[in-house]
Amino acid sequence: MKKDETEDMRELFEAQVARLQEIHFLILLWATQTEGESLKYNITNVFDDLKSARITRTKQTAVAAVSVLLSLCFIDLRDEHNRKNIYITKYGGKALRAILDKETFKMKPSAFLEGK
Amino acid sequence: MTIGIGGAGSKLAAKLDSQAILVNVSESELNKVPGGKERILATVRSERGQFRGSRKDPQIGHDAYQSVRRDLLGKIRGEKVFSSTGGGTGNGITTGLLEDISEQNDIDKSNKTFFAFVLPYEQLESSEYVDNTIAFLSGPLAKAIDKGNTGNIVLFSNKVKFEQRLSEDEFNNMLIESLKEFLDIPNKNEIHRLLDGHTDYEDFNEWLAKPYFNHFTSFDYEYKPSKYEIDEDLKGEEREKAIEKRNAKAASDFGKQLEEHHNPLLLEPETAIEAMFLLEVPKDGDATLMYNIVSYFSTLNLRAVGSVVENPDLVKPHVTVSILYSGKPAEQLESFKKNSEEIHQERVRKTIDQNVELTPLKVNLEDEAKRVIRQRGVKEDILETLKRIGKL
Repeated sequence: MKKDETEDMRELFEAQVARLQEIHFLILLWATQTEGESLKYNITNVFDDLKSARITRTKQTAVAAVSVLLSLCFIDLRDEHNRKNIYITKYGGKALRAILDKETFKMKPSAFLEGK
Repeated sequence: MTIGIGGAGSKLAAKLDSQAILVNVSESELNKVPGGKERILATVRSERGQFRGSRKDPQIGHDAYQSVRRDLLGKIRGEKVFSSTGGGTGNGITTGLLEDISEQNDIDKSNKTFFAFVLPYEQLESSEYVDNTIAFLSGPLAKAIDKGNTGNIVLFSNKVKFEQRLSEDEFNNMLIESLKEFLDIPNKNEIHRLLDGHTDYEDFNEWLAKPYFNHFTSFDYEYKPSKYEIDEDLKGEEREKAIEKRNAKAASDFGKQLEEHHNPLLLEPETAIEAMFLLEVPKDGDATLMYNIVSYFSTLNLRAVGSVVENPDLVKPHVTVSILYSGKPAEQLESFKKNSEEIHQERVRKTIDQNVELTPLKVNLEDEAKRVIRQRGVKEDILETLKRIGKL
């Protein structure tokens, strides 16, 4: 890849990260934390955590946020034992680090992890 | 001289006597009481310094007593002491005084102390007040009475205050006015024309030095001579019997009036041991009404001492009676204990009703530390996790 293209890709990544909202940040954060604890984290868990954190009250919104992250390749969805589990990708990891560096959003605890 | 101990005791003492000595553990409380003369601060120190009150805890008052013990024991000799039994200061300091008085031998009549205590109304006042009073009545007061080292003990009750919803000041005025009328007996003997008997200051002080509970009261004595007329035609033995019957009825009627006019500000009296009275009759009034009073007390096997004076300000006969009795604390104690028990049972019942279940908290410190870190979500920890799971 040429130097200009590399620069473009970096700009694209930064633009993608800049458009992420709190809901996306929290999903990336919680997916990282659960994977760090070797736990499985699925869309239902995401929805419950978002409700608990008073981010949304509809599963539709939770599914839409997960879809956005999936489209951006920041997360993967894997079918495991009849469940679609969420895993953060290396791009998602970099996006999360970028948000944390900018301190755009405040971290909130995952009710799913607290219950474990 | 009068000594007021604690908040309630000081307010009463200052109302009775402008030269009263007021005692408290709180300087600000002492300064708040209007009137009185000398103020004595009983010092007791905690880790935070001088107490600013005794928090309804008689132990604090009792500890503070040590700082004023010698001074107070000298000052109360032959004087009047006012205190409440429910709070911490009055109860605690007076407990110390009564304990010391009980230890002394042969206190001279002129040095006996007159005590006036204000008891809580057990139906409506705090259970701490009631419990403090139970301990006071059954402990130091009972001991002092057994020893016979006190003078009269007056047991005021807050019942009327609560039932009639009176302000404290209004109620205190009533107590003091009632007491003043009793204490005024020798003065009335001195200033009015004496019609029969005599109670001078010496007699009266001797009365105050008797180690019993004192129930005093005063009321207008209703006497209609027409009600007691006897048939003029009766002669000899029949006439004597009729006169005897009339006298018995007049005595009995006086007794009924006395019972109806027991002082509502004081606890009800028990069986009288001794009685004293002052009968005031209007100008040219009938001094022989005195015999109805004497006869009534004789039916109770009591010799009543008294006097009759002519008070030209009156339109009806007026009588002031003081009854001495003993053994009050035992019965009073039962009533207080019963109420206290009910209050405590109710507390326990309410606690059970609230059904507070305390499950044992098992904490694994390692897990707890991890949980706290997770909750805090420290940035460095997240980045560390991302590296560990190969995403950075």
